[in-house]
Amino acid sequence: METKQFVIIGVAIALVIAVAAPFLASGNPDGLESAFFSIYEAKPFMGSELDEEAAGAAEEQAIAMTGNDFSYEAFMPDYSIPGLDKTGEVFAVVIGTLLMLILVFAVAKVSARPDN
Amino acid sequence: MHIPDAFIPMGQALVYWVIALIFIALALRWARRSMGEEKIPLVAVLAAGIFAIQALNIPIPWGTSGHMVGAALAAIVLGSPFAGVFVLTLVLLVQGVIFGDGGITVMGANIVNMGVVGGFVGYYGYTGIKGVIGNAYAAAFIAGWASLFISAILCAVELAIAGTFPLSLGLTFMGTYHAVIGLIEGGITAVALYLIASARPDILEHPRGVSA
Repeated sequence: METKQFVIIGVAIALVIAVAAPFLASGNPDGLESAFFSIYEAKPFMGSELDEEAAGAAEEQAIAMTGNDFSYEAFMPDYSIPGLDKTGEVFAVVIGTLLMLILVFAVAKVSARPDN
Repeated sequence: MHIPDAFIPMGQALVYWVIALIFIALALRWARRSMGEEKIPLVAVLAAGIFAIQALNIPIPWGTSGHMVGAALAAIVLGSPFAGVFVLTLVLLVQGVIFGDGGITVMGANIVNMGVVGGFVGYYGYTGIKGVIGNAYAAAFIAGWASLFISAILCAVELAIAGTFPLSLGLTFMGTYHAVIGLIEGGITAVALYLIASARPDILEHPRGVSA
């Protein structure tokens, strides 16, 4: 397969995943979040019921524990565009995917060996 | 497994940043020495695919979900653990800065856990296991699983040092969830390696080993 063809097919697969992800992705907490909520008693270790109030309190407790209260407002928090629901999520993941393509190409171009 | 800012004190976060920067420098040296011009578009496509698939959280039991990390795949396909560091550093940078996924002060820890551990366990796990059992795809599955599991174990240790998780509970919970999430990592790593090896056997650093 030619490089051009490989790149086109690869980008197409990445974009299909990016568009589908907001519809298919599970909204459950990930492994680290689940462990955190279980340890702070907001969720049973092997159960699925999340106590939202205890989860919020757990985050406050973590900040109090570590003293790291650094906060930062991302442009598209949690892969969403404020006010745009699912459409916003699709755009966010697609924009991120295309941004990765451009950024990694640029960084690789600058850092790769310049011999051909 | 993206650690948020609140989970690690600033001073410790800085230590992980220093460790991460050393590996980032080594990854850039790898790129300069070993990444030929012809591989640049392929690295970019791989990174875009890894970013997209990281957004796809797959449900596991216990009301939990997990997604692929991809450092093992990048390291195996590009033939160096530093490829995993290179790709994951840029993925984590975009995720943290643009999408607020993973903290900023703790990004060094996330780069160490997912990029460095993922890349090294993925690459050396793959080459080592392939040498013993001879099957590249089974080796990729096991190495992918191990890369994710060991990243999670290190994460639990860091959070115990941080005081956020007690050590034994952290290891038990992180280990249990990620032993399952590792199956996602291993499965997608093996399938993606098969697809890439079929389309472009020349890309792989060890094409003979893959087809064996």
